[in-house]
Amino acid sequence: MIRKFTIALALIAAFISVSNKAVAQCDTVANACVRHMTNKYISDGQHYRALLLDKEIAEFQSTFYGGTTYRIAACSGLGDGNIVFRIFDKERNLLFDNSEQKYAPYWDFKFVSTLDCTIEAQIIPSKAPSGCAVMMISFKQ
Amino acid sequence: MNHKKYLKLALVGFVLFSATAVITSCGDPKKVEETEEEPVDAAKDNLVSVNGELFSIPSPLQTSILLKSSGANYSKDILNLTSHLPSYSTEYKKALNLGVYGADLGYVIIYGQTQDALGYLNASKRLADDINVSGAFDANLMKRFEKNMGNNDSLLAIFTSGYRATDSYLKNNDRNAVSGMVITGGWIESLYFTLNILDKDFKNKNVIIQRVGEQKNTLDHVIKLLTPFYQNPDMTELTELTDALLELYHEFEDIEVKYTFVKPTTDVANKITTINSKTDVKITDEQLKNITEKLSAIRQMIIN
Repeated sequence: MIRKFTIALALIAAFISVSNKAVAQCDTVANACVRHMTNKYISDGQHYRALLLDKEIAEFQSTFYGGTTYRIAACSGLGDGNIVFRIFDKERNLLFDNSEQKYAPYWDFKFVSTLDCTIEAQIIPSKAPSGCAVMMISFKQ
Repeated sequence: MNHKKYLKLALVGFVLFSATAVITSCGDPKKVEETEEEPVDAAKDNLVSVNGELFSIPSPLQTSILLKSSGANYSKDILNLTSHLPSYSTEYKKALNLGVYGADLGYVIIYGQTQDALGYLNASKRLADDINVSGAFDANLMKRFEKNMGNNDSLLAIFTSGYRATDSYLKNNDRNAVSGMVITGGWIESLYFTLNILDKDFKNKNVIIQRVGEQKNTLDHVIKLLTPFYQNPDMTELTELTDALLELYHEFEDIEVKYTFVKPTTDVANKITTINSKTDVKITDEQLKNITEKLSAIRQMIIN
């Protein structure tokens, strides 16, 4: 009975440990990523993170208002150039691909008109097989 | 020792361990077969949702910035009174109104009404503490805010960092329903500003009206954000709110939205891409009236 209890406790501890490690890794990446957002940019107040394995791609939908300049930063690990991110419009036209800009960790976007977009982010396989991908969106006042 | 029970326990533990190691958010990623030369490609099969949600909701601050730049004057009477705070006794009301007061705080800062800012910041802190968002509005943040009164840019940076910390904490702790409610409260309040300011006299009303019509997709995203909790027996009020938002969405359905793709232009040296595509929204007076009525009723439901 005690042996069973000990094993169960060890498994639960391992479960919590891995979970906390994942969160801590993402916190570290987020803290490194925030340096790309200078004082001129205001955070949108939300938090975008995903643990990606193999060639998984994180996708989310966003609306960008016309007449506004946004900065989008995408990070993984402590250095730059580990993530490819792409922006598509609702007709799946490619609006931006950071792989065409030497995997720049951030880029600014000036929207002439309000648009609903999809952002996809993927860790570059040659950089790391898996990891935490963090995305940040800010806008210029 | 019973070996069968031991194996069952070990199997359960292994499953738990493996599940945690995969991903912390909801989603069902499918693996694509790897080849040595396969490029980094947006294969739909590999898509995962981010943090258990698929959507980003525009910040209420952007609405306040638009109102000010359009020539609308500061109007304190459109804000939620901080005196309502003691009446928010459930997590549902606290989370929604944390979003509401956040939108109000952003509005007063944008308009430079710092005499009102501290009241809204205190209200936000109180609600964040009440819903156990550990440290998002800590003593250091409060001190920095007071120290920077009069410097709007600093105040905006400080208060948005508090809200991002709130969102981060909630999602890291799988409190996605509460996170969704905070975001929803902020969106409802910012749309309320937009609709009510149209009663006032100022120059660029067409831009504001256009912004109302542009909320169609955002409302769709808000509803989808709350959908995972729909008809959860422990969240009946949230289900009622979602039903009310669905009713509101019916008023947006017939709004004409015309999209035209135009190729973007990139300035590599300055790391900026101009997105030239156009969205044109046509919203009638009748649609505006109906949206105003329904949105106002929803807001009353959450602030009272």
